[in-house]
Amino acid sequence: MFEGLSLDQAPPLSVVMRFFLTVPVFGLFLSLLMIFAPHDVLTLSHPLSLASIHLLFLGIISMGMLGALFQMQSVLGGKPIPQPQGSSLIIHTLFTLGTLSLVCAFAFGISELFIVAGVFLGSAIVYFAQILLPLLFGSITHDTLKGMRLAVIALLLTATLGIVMATSYASGVFGEYHALIRTTHYSLGLIGWIAMLIVHVAFQVVEMFYVTTPYSAWCKHNVGRILVGVLALKVLWLFLNLPFPWVTDMIVISLLLGFVVTTMKRLQMRKRRVSDVSIWFWRGGIALLGIALMSYTGYVLSDYASLETVSLIAFALFALSIILGMMGKIVPFLVWFHLSSSGFMDTPIMSNIIPQKRSKILFWLFSTTVIFALLAPFYTNILILCGLTSTAMFALLLFNLIAAKRLYHHTLRHGTKFSFEN
Amino acid sequence: MILIDARELEHPIPLEMTVDAFKNLKGSEVIHFINRREPIPLFEILTKNGGFYLSRQNSEGVWHIHITRDPNLDLEAIHV
Repeated sequence: MFEGLSLDQAPPLSVVMRFFLTVPVFGLFLSLLMIFAPHDVLTLSHPLSLASIHLLFLGIISMGMLGALFQMQSVLGGKPIPQPQGSSLIIHTLFTLGTLSLVCAFAFGISELFIVAGVFLGSAIVYFAQILLPLLFGSITHDTLKGMRLAVIALLLTATLGIVMATSYASGVFGEYHALIRTTHYSLGLIGWIAMLIVHVAFQVVEMFYVTTPYSAWCKHNVGRILVGVLALKVLWLFLNLPFPWVTDMIVISLLLGFVVTTMKRLQMRKRRVSDVSIWFWRGGIALLGIALMSYTGYVLSDYASLETVSLIAFALFALSIILGMMGKIVPFLVWFHLSSSGFMDTPIMSNIIPQKRSKILFWLFSTTVIFALLAPFYTNILILCGLTSTAMFALLLFNLIAAKRLYHHTLRHGTKFSFEN
Repeated sequence: MILIDARELEHPIPLEMTVDAFKNLKGSEVIHFINRREPIPLFEILTKNGGFYLSRQNSEGVWHIHITRDPNLDLEAIHV
């Protein structure tokens, strides 16, 4: 009947929710920065720009991805993370404190906080990797799990380089390799951690959630290896100071453009066309990845700096779009699953846990934020409008998550359990 | 036999339909659930709530799951 797989297929709701609830809180901090310091946020290497980038990539995107990994490892891997409540509490606390310290270190120029951030973030990521990676080695055959393994290793390397740079910021001494380390740090973070994970998760969920034709087995099996090879080549290229360093970027862009086209095609040609806001987020996210890749190509060809900024913003919004879509699936599933497995007769259906109407408003607020964010590198003051719409978006996201959690606890206290008396 | 053929349905409809049917299952009734994937989360819900199941994949990769709450019913015998 059930061969070797654990029956505890979903982590407790609180394990995932503590990460997801923190996402909109950091989102609101970022929105405030955009409203009150739009010029600084968009000025390359300005302390507030670096604070914003780390709020976005650590506090929002990585926070959401870590929470989702607790869920995905259980469901896909069949080997849940041991002691998930304790582990998630430790990782979440360290990661939150580390992100706050790093953002404050940049924003207020407090050099000691770079060391504090390095210790907290490094501890969180090392602890996360040491509990997750052993579950992802051994007899793993699932391509998505192999992709998760590569992504977590890339996160570890990204964090290691981040800590090296944090010590430079703390001491004010920047070695001759600082620029190379920085480039390697963000290449590993953006491609090795974020793109690697999302591409491999797409291989699993696009087909499963939206009843599409499967991705080609060759792609699923090899895309991770190719990305690792190209990233290794890029690092080597940089440190040997070889000419035309953008060559490796173009290989990554070609590969990811292939992913964009093939995913869009699958979403367009899906067998059933049930209206679901999560698919809007997936489509939007994939389109944003396409914009990021095209803008970066434009930047390489023209050296027009604003295009590089557009590319980074579009890439971050690509990841955020997928995270919002996944949250809209994971949270209702966990609420429904735990109530159903506890035997509640009146468990709400998943589409009512976060009502469609509120999900649609969230999507439209996200879309408006995207438009303003992509225009902001050309008209800086538009970032204020972007900050206002993202405030509304993150406030609604927070409300949706809290409402889902309250519904869960309300049903636990007042729900009716089903009985099997004939 | 209650037949739920969810091969063409998007997640999470198959899970919800099957759990709904399971909640209303009477006596020796059996649900025959057909799905593209093995619905592993469903098994925890079933076993925690007094259900029994038999899950098998056919040569075309389709999963057939028979579900009952009658402990005396031989699911092997009715599995097709």
